[in-house]
Amino acid sequence: MIWVIHVLNGIAIGMLLFLLAAGLSLIYGLMKILNLTHGSFYLVGGYIGLTVMQFTGSFVLALIVAAIIVGVIGAVIERGFLRRFHLDELPQTLLTFGFLFIFADLCLWIWGGDPLMVRQPRLLAGSLPLGDFSYPYYRLFLIVIGLAIAGGLWWFQEHTRLGTMLRAGVDDAEIARALGINVSLLFTLVFAAGAALAAVGGVLAAPVLSLYPGGDFDALLLAFVVVIVGGLGSLRGALVGALLVGLLDDFGKAFFPQFALFTVFVPMALILVVRPTGLFGRR
Amino acid sequence: MTNKKTGPFGVLRSVALTCAAALTLGTSSLSAQAEDTIKVGVLLPLSGNFAANGQQTLTGIKMYLDEIANSVAGHKIELLVEDSQGKPDVAVTKARKLVERDGAQMLSGIVSTGVALAVNDYARGAKVPLILSGDAGGDDLTVPGPLANPYLVRVSQNGRTVAAAAADFAYKKGWRKATVIGSDYAGGVDTIYSFALAFCRLGGQVTQEQWPPIGTSDFGPYLTNLDRKADAMVAFNPGADGLRLGKQYSEFGLTGKLPVLDIYATIVYEPNLPQLGDSTLGMYSSLLYSAMIKTPENERFVAEFKKRMGYLPSNEGPNGYVGMHAIADAVKTVNGDLKDTPKFIDALKEVKFSSPKGDIKLDKYGMVIQSMYIREVQKVDGQLANVPVATYNNVDQFWPMTYEEYESYKYGYKDLKGQLNDCSKLLAKK
Repeated sequence: MIWVIHVLNGIAIGMLLFLLAAGLSLIYGLMKILNLTHGSFYLVGGYIGLTVMQFTGSFVLALIVAAIIVGVIGAVIERGFLRRFHLDELPQTLLTFGFLFIFADLCLWIWGGDPLMVRQPRLLAGSLPLGDFSYPYYRLFLIVIGLAIAGGLWWFQEHTRLGTMLRAGVDDAEIARALGINVSLLFTLVFAAGAALAAVGGVLAAPVLSLYPGGDFDALLLAFVVVIVGGLGSLRGALVGALLVGLLDDFGKAFFPQFALFTVFVPMALILVVRPTGLFGRR
Repeated sequence: MTNKKTGPFGVLRSVALTCAAALTLGTSSLSAQAEDTIKVGVLLPLSGNFAANGQQTLTGIKMYLDEIANSVAGHKIELLVEDSQGKPDVAVTKARKLVERDGAQMLSGIVSTGVALAVNDYARGAKVPLILSGDAGGDDLTVPGPLANPYLVRVSQNGRTVAAAAADFAYKKGWRKATVIGSDYAGGVDTIYSFALAFCRLGGQVTQEQWPPIGTSDFGPYLTNLDRKADAMVAFNPGADGLRLGKQYSEFGLTGKLPVLDIYATIVYEPNLPQLGDSTLGMYSSLLYSAMIKTPENERFVAEFKKRMGYLPSNEGPNGYVGMHAIADAVKTVNGDLKDTPKFIDALKEVKFSSPKGDIKLDKYGMVIQSMYIREVQKVDGQLANVPVATYNNVDQFWPMTYEEYESYKYGYKDLKGQLNDCSKLLAKK
């Protein structure tokens, strides 16, 4: 039974990682922007969710409001700032790095320095008994919602017009533009969607990981590990990478505790050696 | 050609040194002015993982200053606060800035032991009084040895006494087997080692040790692997980790199955209690303070702290408050004359007063002698609080041993990580 729990747990954490990494990966895939503000989107989303929860008590509302507000913030950052440095990687990365610090300070200012825990919805508060052990319902819910979002994103990418345009943009933005696709609008939409996805991840992660100053950097680091393992720009890569990192992290910590600090990074290093572009990355 | 010995960075380094020297020379004349104002440099993490600890320490410091209206025996006290971010390199830079540019006459605060070690080195070299009043609990700082610093006193806490009190309580409670879970850094290993040693001395044993890294977000693997035949889980996971461990402990259905003894109250930290809710009821913790101590000093302190922060104080607020009290008393003793640093340090070591923490005095090494409290989470007037259920008075840094006994053990915490279940090793003499 102990194995079942470790596997479940690896998948649940993997799903959180997927939500974090998916947006980062999509944005890089389309716009070639290494968006360091992604960590802020996650943390700000979590904090907004917390505030909404405090006022309304509704977890669903928290998810929606956080996604919308952070999505709009993302759109503003893309339209107002990043656009000026199109395809100029260094200024773009530095700009997103600057935003990361600004948001970190804003969060500290608004929500203070204490780590804050978001209560999970009451419906999901208990835990499922499994023999001598038990497993929290909320984490089972994470697995379900993570798979649902992954499925939804895949369907969107493969079966909608916007998704087709997105894939065209990822493959070759110039040609896509020449074919009459409004790449400019696509950029803003994808950036906003990526930000909203990170915010949803923040709200969903908050009852497990808590919200604290510095959580943005931690999340960013994990998201990077996932996209490096999975390959930048690939949704499938983000999913497989996230599950792999989640499971390896759990089993590593449980069975090789002396390497707990490296359980996430050793697989990353190994994969970089064998496949420098990640599992599903393209050159 | 660059010099072979110093390598290509030799030139760079000498340029940097020259600049640094120029900076020091240029500023030393500045710090000589403003004689009647005592400038206290405070280094605390106001951002990062330990921001909450820093904020509360600062609140305690300011509370005492407000009480004495920023002045003692006619000398104005000015606070110069810098954010150390909990990082040793940042802290040393800020310490230099405070002393060499802003004219701070002493340094105080400090939450992380790593920061304390780095700043200790600087303070010893620069002969600046360092009054530790934050969480920094590295035992070696106040024990004769390579780290000893004649310009250092500590009025807050050290790692081992709180752990030793926990071990004593655990044994008296009838527990003989403990599974320990401690943050994987020097302070964590030191604290858990101190518990294991004290527990072995009494006849108990650690049956399993787990070391999650600092910043562990998911404790699932550790909680699943927990030795359920043990009598209690003994934990030390400071910062946001404690909050997550506490939350996940109840989520994994362990509440009521395995009692919790929380060294330093890292889980049942006061700001965490309302967030964790009733699942904390009955958790034990060991600390040098409880907001529920029934003395006039403490009741007054708690009321004011709650007004400022909105929740009950943990150890940081009182530590900062006591630190500022000690500084003020010592300034009064030397009548504001801080030029004779050894005299000021002696005055610090002589301070003796009643505080929210209980009665305070210092030993000859400059380490505080105070009370230890075992607390249990109970509901008081509908609010969760850590209520003292056992008190140990007059606990010095080697308690319940003497300095000689403390020094007689062959292995230290650095040698025994991973072997804490072996009492014969822990108890081996030199």
